[in-house]
Amino acid sequence: MMKVNKLTKSFGRHHVVDRLSFQLEAGRCMALLGPNGAGKTTTLRLMSGLLQPDSGTVHLEESSGDIRAHIGYLPQHPQFHGWMTGREFLLYAAGLSGLSKQKAGRQADWTLDRVGLKEFRNKRISRYSGGMKQRLGIAQAIIHQPKVLLLDEPVSALDPIGRREVLDLMEELKKETILLYSTHILNDAEEVSDEILLMHEGKVIESGTIEEVKSRHQMEKLTLKFSMDSESWRDYVSTWPAVERVEIHKQTLHVYVTDSGAVRKKVLDEASRDDWPLVHFEVGRPTLEDLFIKAVKNHAVDHHL
Amino acid sequence: MQWITIYKKEWLEILRNYKWIWVPLVFILFCIIDPLSTYYLPVIIEATGGLPEGAVFDLPTPPPSEAFMMSISQLNTLGVLVLALITMGSISGEKKSGVAELVLVKPVSHLSYLTAKWAAASTLLILSAAIGLIASWYYVQLLFGDLPFTAVAAAIFFYSLWILFLTSISLFMNAWSRIPGLVLFFTLAALMIMSLVTSVFSKYLAWSPARLSSYLRSLLITGDVPADLWYTSLVTAAMTLLLLYAGTKRLKKSSMLS
Repeated sequence: MMKVNKLTKSFGRHHVVDRLSFQLEAGRCMALLGPNGAGKTTTLRLMSGLLQPDSGTVHLEESSGDIRAHIGYLPQHPQFHGWMTGREFLLYAAGLSGLSKQKAGRQADWTLDRVGLKEFRNKRISRYSGGMKQRLGIAQAIIHQPKVLLLDEPVSALDPIGRREVLDLMEELKKETILLYSTHILNDAEEVSDEILLMHEGKVIESGTIEEVKSRHQMEKLTLKFSMDSESWRDYVSTWPAVERVEIHKQTLHVYVTDSGAVRKKVLDEASRDDWPLVHFEVGRPTLEDLFIKAVKNHAVDHHL
Repeated sequence: MQWITIYKKEWLEILRNYKWIWVPLVFILFCIIDPLSTYYLPVIIEATGGLPEGAVFDLPTPPPSEAFMMSISQLNTLGVLVLALITMGSISGEKKSGVAELVLVKPVSHLSYLTAKWAAASTLLILSAAIGLIASWYYVQLLFGDLPFTAVAAAIFFYSLWILFLTSISLFMNAWSRIPGLVLFFTLAALMIMSLVTSVFSKYLAWSPARLSSYLRSLLITGDVPADLWYTSLVTAAMTLLLLYAGTKRLKKSSMLS
């Protein structure tokens, strides 16, 4: 288990990470979510030992000495020596992790196989594609069989095929290590992780399993589309009780409600009675994206009041 | 051990980018150009049109030790420039590109990282300078007269201390900046200031590292190591260690992240 306790880091007068506390359980995978500038990268760097916190601690159970020995870390944009081959770089990373020469060789071949770079092992890294570099980045992170794996935006810069490959790899890796990764692609978070940690301006604003978070924000969503005059329909619908918020995107109204039954009935009644120019009507649970936007907005409002 | 890993990787890089060929070649060139051109100057003047009728131009042939010192002084100018150029991106370049992030996330100490790089660059430069100076000795022996090899070997040994000192300055500057060009500038500026201060306060700074190579002259002439050279070497070695220590301290504080 890894415990992060009141972790704080400022650059100048700006609190990038502000009294952050959470814990990671073995065999669980957690996604670190948040808009750009929320402090995700700084959090991962603090946990990996690349940055020293101003205050607070990162504690890994059953480990002593240099915490870096038990952590695998993939930076957002991993950079390599282009003149090295993939295998040479892994041997270098293994040596830096303190593995003996024989073990380094074994581990390098095993990880190369694992990330699917076996046939490119003797090719210069400068000739690798973006996806191959990302997989090599993961390979160097797992070469010393760390207890904790921290991945910073592992799939954000990849094409759909590369994304798929890396996500599948993460599915496997989460069985063996404590996996924490940051992303702003919410689909990926829903797919791989058991838990999410939503950050905004250096603070945790939501955490728990995705289901927990969704039910905590007990909120449902109605989607309405009119053939004309959406703006005035929005103004009308937002005056209803039980309607929390109405947003309009591309002529489509997203109505967030606390009691979907009552609102649905009202919509259907009025639509047939008054002959609304309704072309689309849908009742659904909000997606993670809706939650994300709602939580971040609420936090931003609280913060600035 | 991580130190060896980094040292080996540095050497792999030196082999891959052909530094192991061109640095020794350039140093040989720097070392032999002055003794050769001095010896052949009359021939060259003759071949390119000669002196006007009746002009007498008597060129005294310098003694062997003096001819050898010409090579040392070439290394002190052009050689130092090459040294500063090939070490300027040693750490700053890795910081800038972001490779340093992947290195320092492993359980590597800043001390190993800095000193392994320092040692690898110094090995290359000392070997190159030694090869260059031995080439110079060969021509001096051939063209100017006898110069005992023991004296030359001793001179190479003491000159190596100077090289270790120079690379430690460059690595120290590397710890401060992430811009290789600035590292080059600061390294050369530091050297210029040091030699200026040494010559202005020469009375009090008899053991300044900047004077190390000037003591080699009497070593070459007499074959004995002058006391001043011993003390200067001690000061140089101490300052080298100090620079490495301070560089490591600085590296720990600085952000290695791009």
